[in-house]
Amino acid sequence: MLLATLLLTALGTVAWEIRARALGYAPCLNDTSDLWADQREKVAPDSVVIIGDSRALFDMDLDALQQGLGSRPLQLALVGSCAYPILDNLANDETFHGTIICSIIPAIWLAPPEAPPYKNSLTALNRLRTRTVAQKASHHLGMLLEEQIAFMKQDDLVLSQLVAKIPVPNRAAYMAPPALPPFFATIARDRRTRMTESCVLPGALQERVKQGWIPLFSPPKFPDFMPKEVLAGMAASSEARFGQTVVAVNKIRARGGKVVFIRFPHSGELKKFEDAGLPREGPWTRLMNETGVPNIYYSDYPELVYECPEWSHLSGPQSVEFTQRLVPHLQAALAKK
Amino acid sequence: MGGYWSLRSWDARKNLLLVASYIFYGAWNPPFALLLFATTTLDYWLGARIAAAPAGARKGWLVASVTANLSMLGFFKYGNFLLENTQWLLARAGIAYHPPHLDLFLPIGISFYTFHSLSYTLDVYRGATTPTRSLRDFLLAVSFFPQLVAGPIVRAADFLPQCATPPNPLKHRLQWGLFLMSLGMFQKIVLADTLLAPVADSIFGHPGPVLPLDAWTGVIAFSGQIFFDFSGYSTCAIGAALCLGFHLKDNFLFPFAAVGFSDFWRRWHISLSTFLRDYLYFPLGGNRVGAVRAAVNLIIVMFLGGLWHGAKWTFVVWGLIHGLCLVVEHAFRTLTKDGAWKETLPAKLLLCLVTYFFVCISWVFFRAPDFSGAGLLLGAMAGQIPVGEAILTTREILQVGLVIFGLWLVQWRLRDTSLEAAIGRKPAWLIAAVWTLMLGGIILTQGSGNAFIYFQF
Repeated sequence: MLLATLLLTALGTVAWEIRARALGYAPCLNDTSDLWADQREKVAPDSVVIIGDSRALFDMDLDALQQGLGSRPLQLALVGSCAYPILDNLANDETFHGTIICSIIPAIWLAPPEAPPYKNSLTALNRLRTRTVAQKASHHLGMLLEEQIAFMKQDDLVLSQLVAKIPVPNRAAYMAPPALPPFFATIARDRRTRMTESCVLPGALQERVKQGWIPLFSPPKFPDFMPKEVLAGMAASSEARFGQTVVAVNKIRARGGKVVFIRFPHSGELKKFEDAGLPREGPWTRLMNETGVPNIYYSDYPELVYECPEWSHLSGPQSVEFTQRLVPHLQAALAKK
Repeated sequence: MGGYWSLRSWDARKNLLLVASYIFYGAWNPPFALLLFATTTLDYWLGARIAAAPAGARKGWLVASVTANLSMLGFFKYGNFLLENTQWLLARAGIAYHPPHLDLFLPIGISFYTFHSLSYTLDVYRGATTPTRSLRDFLLAVSFFPQLVAGPIVRAADFLPQCATPPNPLKHRLQWGLFLMSLGMFQKIVLADTLLAPVADSIFGHPGPVLPLDAWTGVIAFSGQIFFDFSGYSTCAIGAALCLGFHLKDNFLFPFAAVGFSDFWRRWHISLSTFLRDYLYFPLGGNRVGAVRAAVNLIIVMFLGGLWHGAKWTFVVWGLIHGLCLVVEHAFRTLTKDGAWKETLPAKLLLCLVTYFFVCISWVFFRAPDFSGAGLLLGAMAGQIPVGEAILTTREILQVGLVIFGLWLVQWRLRDTSLEAAIGRKPAWLIAAVWTLMLGGIILTQGSGNAFIYFQF
C-alpha cells in the first residue's frame, strides 16, 4: 500500500509538473521574506544596498551596478512595499556606513503603518529577526527544489491560489479588493528580478498586468464604521514620514554613509495616474528639500526615459541598459556632499 | 529513522532519541533546554524522595514538586498577567502601583512539558507508578520530541514502561505511523492553514463590524481550524512516535460528533481533560460530594483549564463557558434521566447541534484578541449590529461550509469507532487513493505555513 501510494503520488507530481510547464511556467525561486533576509544578513558596514519598491527590484541590474560602482550591491527592494522601515532598520544599525540607493514612489513611501506596503516591509524584517535554524534550513532546501521544479510558484500555483480561481459570483454587498498581478517575473538568489518574456511581449498577460495597476494603486474607500480619529491618525502618520525620513537619513550620514533617492521610469496610463495623484511638485519635492538627499528623477534625463512593457517596470534587457545609463548620474549624486 | 533502527542496542537508541529531542528543543532557544533539563531532573529526584519517604512525609515532597513546577510555569507564563491584575486591583482600592513589565520570553511548550513532568511525581504519590531508576529514561519521557512542544500530554506512567523493552521495527506499525504523519500534515497544512485559517483570520482580525453571515462563517472556520491544527499536530506526534516504536494515546476522538459537553471533553484534547480529571477534579471530590459541590468543582477545573491555555481573561471566560455548560448538562441529565427519547437519532442530532453552537460561542472568546472584539463579533452573530461589512467572498463561505459539513459527516459516521478500526475495514486501493490525495494536497501547498496554534501554550 505504501509503495502504491508513493508511486501514485510520484505520477501525479510529474503530471502536474508537465502541466505547469505547458502553461508557461519555468523553475525559479519564490520572492519570500527568507530570500530577502538572506540578503539583509549579507549587509556589511560598507555595503551598497538597494531598497524601495518593485521598480528598484526590476530596473536595477546588479552586474551593471557592480561594474559602474566597483562594488556589488545587495538587493533589498520589496514588491509593493514602503521601504521606510528598511531605511530605519539600516539607520539604526550602528555598524552600517555604506551607500543606500532608494526608490521613491511618493504614494507608497508615505503609506501609514496600518497599510499593506508598510506591513510588507515589517514582515520581511520580522522574518529576519525571528527565523530559526530549522526555518533557514527549510528555506535553503526549498530553494534547491524551486530551482528545478516549475510548479513551485507560491503566488500562482499553490492550492490556495488554485482554489481562489474557482469562478463563484459574489454577493452584491461584497467589496472585492483589487487583484494582485499574476506571475510575470523571475528572481535569482541575489534577488535580481527579470520580467518574463511572455510579459515583455504584447499579449494577454501583459495586458492583464497593465490593467491591474490603476485599481491596485487606487486608494480603497474607507468603510463607514471607521472612526474619524483613525483616519486622522493615518493622515498624521503619512505627514510624520517626512520627519522620520530626515532622522533616518541623518543617522546614516552622521556615520559617513550615503543615500540617493531615485524616481524610476514608468509610462502609459499609469504615469498619467501617478502624475495626477501626487505630482512631482508635491511630496517628492518636499521630501527632497527636507532631507537634502541627492536625487535622480528619471524624466530629467532623456536617456533614462523608457516605455515600460506593462507601464510600471522595465524588461530585463531594458534594465541592463537603464542601469548602465544611470551609473554616471549615481556617481555624480554620490560625489555630492 | 534509518539510523535509529539500525542501532542494535536499545540503550543506544534511547540515547539517540534523547540527544535528538534536546537538539530539537534547543534549536529554538538553547538556554531553555537547560531549564527543561533542570525541571525534569528535579522531578526525577523528588519522585524518588516521595517513594522512599514514610507516609507522613510523602505529601511534603509532592508539595515541593507541585510548587516548583507551578512556580516556574507561573513565572514565565503568568508573571506579567499577575502584575497587571494586581495593579488593577490596587487601583480599585485607590493605591497607585506601577510594576515593571517583565520582559519574559515564554519557553515554547512549557505548559505541556510541565504537565509531562508533574504527572510523574503525582503518579508516584498516588501509587499509580513506581519511580524509575533511570534518569535517562525519565528525561526521554518528558522531552520525547514528537510530544514535547504541543502535546499530547503524555504521562510518564504511560511512557516509562515502554522504555523497558525494545520495540521491533514492524512493517504494519511503520506504515500506520507514516499514514498518521501524512494525515496530520494534511490536516494542518491543507485543511487548517489553507482552507480555513484565512477566513478565520480575516474575520477575527477585522477592525469593524461584519455581517452576521460573515461573522458565523469566521467562527465556524475557526472551530475547524483549531481542530485540524491541534489534532493535526497530535496525529503527527502519534505517527512519529509509532515509527520509532512508541505508542502515544489518542488526543482527539471525533469531537464534532459530541452529544453534550461531557461527551465533548471525552473527545477533545483528551490528554488535558483526563489530566485535569485525575489530578484536580477527583482530588476535589469529583461528583461524589453532592450536586452543588460537584458543580463548583467543575467550574474550578474549567476555570483553571481556561487559564492553562494562556494568561488572558478571555481564555478564562472560554473555560467558564465550558464549565457552566457542563453544570447545565449535568442538571439536564438528572432531570431527564428516564427520557429514552435522548437516545433517538433526531434527539442526538439536535443535542449535537446545540453542543456545537455553544462550543462555537466559546471559541469567540478563545480566539478574539480582547473582550471588545469578542463582543463585536457576538453582536454581529446575533444580528444586533446595524451596520456591517461583507468581507468574505461567496467562494470562501461555501468553502468553509463544505469543509465543516464534510468534517462533521465523517466524524458522525465514525463517532463510535476508532480511526484505525475504520480504516482497517476499507480496501487497500481506497486507502492508497486517499493517502495519495492527501500527499498531493500537501505538495500543492508549498510555502511557509503558520505555526501551530498550541505552540503558544
